[in-house]
Amino acid sequence: MNNAIRTWLGVATLFLMLASLFMVFEYVPTEIDEGIVQRIFYFHVPLAWVAFVAFGLVAIAGVFYLWLGDQLWDDLGYASAEIGMVFCTLMLISGSLWAKPIWGTWWTWDSRLTTTFILWLLYGGYLMLRASAGDSPQVARFAAVVGIVAALDVPVIIASVRLWRTIHPAVLVTKQGGHGLEDPRMIATLLVSLTAFSALFAWLLMLRFSQVRTHSRLQALAERLAIAHAAAGDR
Amino acid sequence: MSAFAAVLRKDLRLELRSGESTIALLALSLLVMVVLVFALDASRVRGVDTASGALWVAMVFSGMLGAGRALLAERDNDCMRGLLLSPLDPATLYAAKLAATLIFMSVAEVGAVVLMVLFFNLEFNTALLRVAPILMLGALGFAAVATLLSAITGRTRAGDMLLPILAVPMFVPALIAGVKASGAALSGAPFAAMSDWLKIMIAFDVLFVSAGYLLFEHVVGQD
Repeated sequence: MNNAIRTWLGVATLFLMLASLFMVFEYVPTEIDEGIVQRIFYFHVPLAWVAFVAFGLVAIAGVFYLWLGDQLWDDLGYASAEIGMVFCTLMLISGSLWAKPIWGTWWTWDSRLTTTFILWLLYGGYLMLRASAGDSPQVARFAAVVGIVAALDVPVIIASVRLWRTIHPAVLVTKQGGHGLEDPRMIATLLVSLTAFSALFAWLLMLRFSQVRTHSRLQALAERLAIAHAAAGDR
Repeated sequence: MSAFAAVLRKDLRLELRSGESTIALLALSLLVMVVLVFALDASRVRGVDTASGALWVAMVFSGMLGAGRALLAERDNDCMRGLLLSPLDPATLYAAKLAATLIFMSVAEVGAVVLMVLFFNLEFNTALLRVAPILMLGALGFAAVATLLSAITGRTRAGDMLLPILAVPMFVPALIAGVKASGAALSGAPFAAMSDWLKIMIAFDVLFVSAGYLLFEHVVGQD
């Protein structure tokens, strides 16, 4: 049942992705001011959307894990953090590729860029903690706490970085995020891309989640087996 | 005597006898300041902004290595187990450790401010008194983050190496606000120029002290 849903979701993701690629490269008109490079926007925004959803899910899973203590929530948080990190990295790279021709620089300490970068650092630390804590039984609680605290930090980061950049003289005078999507075809393309990337995220999450789940079940079994062996040895 | 006071008194007495944490924090602050003086162009006149930046670099770097001390001391001889077995709420333990760390960091900050004035050719004047509350807010935020996270990182394979990797990105909002506010305070700007920054620092402190207070029991429990 679960596998069937996943398979169909995978097929749907494939077709949505193909549709999104076609729309981005063939269907949508080229933006007048920025030219061809603006098309990266239809990937950049969905990547950002998925990254934020994934990081939000990490915090929600953390709360539920501490509340209910079910291993399932920890596995969900782990799977979500990993995928969020991939999408966040791709978002930074795609933004950088766009920024070079448009802003004339690969990177600038703009408020959104800085916020995203700090998020990337935070969840990179989260994954390093998971890797470092290995299979120790406390890792789930540690990860839940760090996931929750990181999410609590996000609004303060946004507030401080925004204030930092508005008081600071602007390095680049641009209409930040001012993609006037005048053409309805642009909005349609963005919506299809958003759906495609959301489906991709859901599919990847299901896939990774079931892997992590299997791993933790195996581990629980191995522990029970070890206890049983020890008990048999005692006798 | 309350449990909070008992733990805090124990930590302070330990510190008065050994001086371990405060001396380490002071020495690290000194070294960071010296490194910054060499790293920054010596021929250029260094402004107030550079000085306040140096102060915060010193706080973050010495704090990263020193702030977890109060908790790590309990790791030897498994003292943590003893503390958890005693009729002591983990949240109270967190508050006591936080208070101890804050006191150690404050001592180091006083030293760092004196070094800043000497190294960056500032004056000993009332502007320094205006920086003091900003530094205290920053130290409280850093201690709150570091006390919670060092309970976690102290029990992982990477150990203390992981603490800065987790703590520094979390501290970023308070760091930005602290550098800006103390720069404004040192250059004698009116209070209005820093009130927004102070609001961010207070929000950060409230958030992380309460998060640590509520979540600490989940990271110290034994399995």
